[in-house]
Amino acid sequence: MTARKPTDTSKTKRTGMSRRTFMGTTAGAVAAGSVVGGFPSIGHGAETLRTIGLGVSVINEIQGKASQDLGLKVRGQALGYGAMFGKMLNQNDQYEIAEGYFNDMDVFIPAKVWQPIDTQRIRDWDKVTNLAKTGKLTPDSNAGQGDAPFRHLWLDADGNRVDGPSRYISMLPGWHNADSLGYNPEETGRDIESWADLFSEEFKGQVALLNVPQIGTMDAALAIEAMGAYTFKDKGNMTREEIDFLIKFLIERKKEGHFRAFWETFGQSVNLMVSGEVAVQSMWSPAVTAVKAEGVPCIYAFPKEGMRGWHGGLAISAKVTGKQLDAAYEYLNWWLDGWAGAFVARQGYYMSVPENVKKHLEPEEWDYWYMGKPAAKELPDPFDTIIVEKGEVRDGGSYWDRFSNIAVWNSLMDENDYLVKRWTEFLSA
Amino acid sequence: MQQIAETHHTGLIGSQPVPPAAIDEAKKLRREPGFPTAWLITLPTAWLILFLVLPLLGIIVFSFWSSSGHGMEPALTLENYRAYFEAEGFFDPESDRFLTPSVFLRTLGSTLYFTLVVMALCLLVGYPIAYFLAMQVQSFKWQMALFLLAMVPFWTSYLIRAVAWLPMLGRRGLLNTFLINIGAIDKPTSLLLYSEFGYTMALVQLYVVLCVGPIFFSLAKIDKAILEAARDMGATSFQIFREIIGPLSLPGVAIGMIFIFVMIMGEFATAVVVYGGKTTTTGTVILNYYAIANYPFAAVNALMLMLAMMIGVIVILRVVNIRKEL
Repeated sequence: MTARKPTDTSKTKRTGMSRRTFMGTTAGAVAAGSVVGGFPSIGHGAETLRTIGLGVSVINEIQGKASQDLGLKVRGQALGYGAMFGKMLNQNDQYEIAEGYFNDMDVFIPAKVWQPIDTQRIRDWDKVTNLAKTGKLTPDSNAGQGDAPFRHLWLDADGNRVDGPSRYISMLPGWHNADSLGYNPEETGRDIESWADLFSEEFKGQVALLNVPQIGTMDAALAIEAMGAYTFKDKGNMTREEIDFLIKFLIERKKEGHFRAFWETFGQSVNLMVSGEVAVQSMWSPAVTAVKAEGVPCIYAFPKEGMRGWHGGLAISAKVTGKQLDAAYEYLNWWLDGWAGAFVARQGYYMSVPENVKKHLEPEEWDYWYMGKPAAKELPDPFDTIIVEKGEVRDGGSYWDRFSNIAVWNSLMDENDYLVKRWTEFLSA
Repeated sequence: MQQIAETHHTGLIGSQPVPPAAIDEAKKLRREPGFPTAWLITLPTAWLILFLVLPLLGIIVFSFWSSSGHGMEPALTLENYRAYFEAEGFFDPESDRFLTPSVFLRTLGSTLYFTLVVMALCLLVGYPIAYFLAMQVQSFKWQMALFLLAMVPFWTSYLIRAVAWLPMLGRRGLLNTFLINIGAIDKPTSLLLYSEFGYTMALVQLYVVLCVGPIFFSLAKIDKAILEAARDMGATSFQIFREIIGPLSLPGVAIGMIFIFVMIMGEFATAVVVYGGKTTTTGTVILNYYAIANYPFAAVNALMLMLAMMIGVIVILRVVNIRKEL
């Protein structure tokens, strides 16, 4: 349309041409420059590793420290879940390391965008706890329903699933945690000890649920089971009938005005609690810490039915070979070495090699974060802000208490498409 | 006098004298011989083809592919469209879903409904603002100053503007505190935030500026002499508005409405922040399916949204013929 209008004036025509040509050339040069910059600088001594993941593990300080310790250039890109998932799946030439999650393995293993990891190249493989290897952190642990890491860990050399322990794994088990309900005791007026309280009449209008269909349904299913309203055969892999029941239940509650809001991001869940909008909600552990840091009382419930676990880890893109592959393994080994584990521990996450983490934590920190003991002194978060007062106790007991009773793991169900469709109906109801 | 009489029906600009053929001829002579003009648009054209047309074609193609659970596989299937439109129990009078369209169509419908409501409210709020700026404020300097002031919200990011509603409307927010202090309510109401009310308010506030701008410009273009002439001839204020100002500001209204329509149809973030995610828009549906790597189905939703938007824009353009009015 604009092109049909007369061009500016003929006066500037000649000089204009050359200026445009010049600009075109410059633009081309700039574009070429950025393309070159996109490739790892091979032959300059230091290998470059590009790693992508969520803000849980991709944090400047962590990749910076890794670069320093390993003499590599580790460049991290923290993304939102959807963007991370899409990039990991569709652009495995755009990263070397994927800091992914075991609940997505039903997608990533068959897609073969990652290469099997050779455990013989992982120095501390023997020290990795049985939580990820067998599902039993302690001999009498409950492995939990759903996508527990041990169900998606073992591969053969070609990247196909195998049942038992083998030399190759899909992803190196890393940081993990167990989620439950967070609540403001001033608003609830009592302790919350069961998932059933998510649907308690007394909290009507002051409840929030996580708006991620795969996880929100699981929190709801835990609550429905705890109420005794229904028993799911496998909460980690529901049938259509089970999904129908669940959604119908949720729609009824929604119409009654039971839910105050549905949150999608960490920050939203913190805001909901801090602003006094909700009394009880599904919540992530660091969010509870963040609420408390704002001066609002908040407790992380330790429901008797068990918590909902999730487990992240490090995978290597199928495209990585040669010296870069060596560098990738170095980065994986570095993660297990304890420094990174100590870093994420101060945010409330656990690492698959606790004994190495212990070496990098002060004894008081270890006692508080892993052993569930009262803090012997004020403790900082990874950025040196004091977040734990002296005498405070972490909700949920020790690491071993917490992870020996996982009710269900974050999962990708076979009926995922159907679930998302029904969840859409729930939200628009 | 004669001219003004004509404007009653065809609009002022439509009845302006046609430039003499000679000027036309001169313009033609001044036009560059082909090449430079074409050259000028090469870059934008290449840009549009590369980053708009091709991806769009991609979306159309992908909508016929099948989802493998971990991405998509080339195919030629209508399965995704069937899943989009299929409504179980639609023809079954016994079913509680009798004559209920699929959830995706209903979502598109509610997205459209909300968009129309917000458009109407934006017009109701935005037009007087633009009118005041263009007609009541006399000095150009003040017009511009106030216009820039109206744009102030745009100086901060969209999300900050949306989030700023929380301390305003929340349970412990400013409005609730105020209502309690004056004794209108005795305990905080939840109806303000995470409600249809809060959502609509936020959308209007977020997007109203988009129509203030164009309406302001088309109002400011109206020659004040015409209004004076009308008044001299005994027209009442209402008549002047109905016969002159209204019709002449229509292009601005139409452009503003198109802006708002297109923006809100694709909206998803405000529903999350201000409505607490308690509703779905087609935008959120697309995101949800993108997040589970069902790209073909996300593509179908995106295409249907685009189709609805195209129809909407065409309807607006039918009502107001912008090209003619300008």
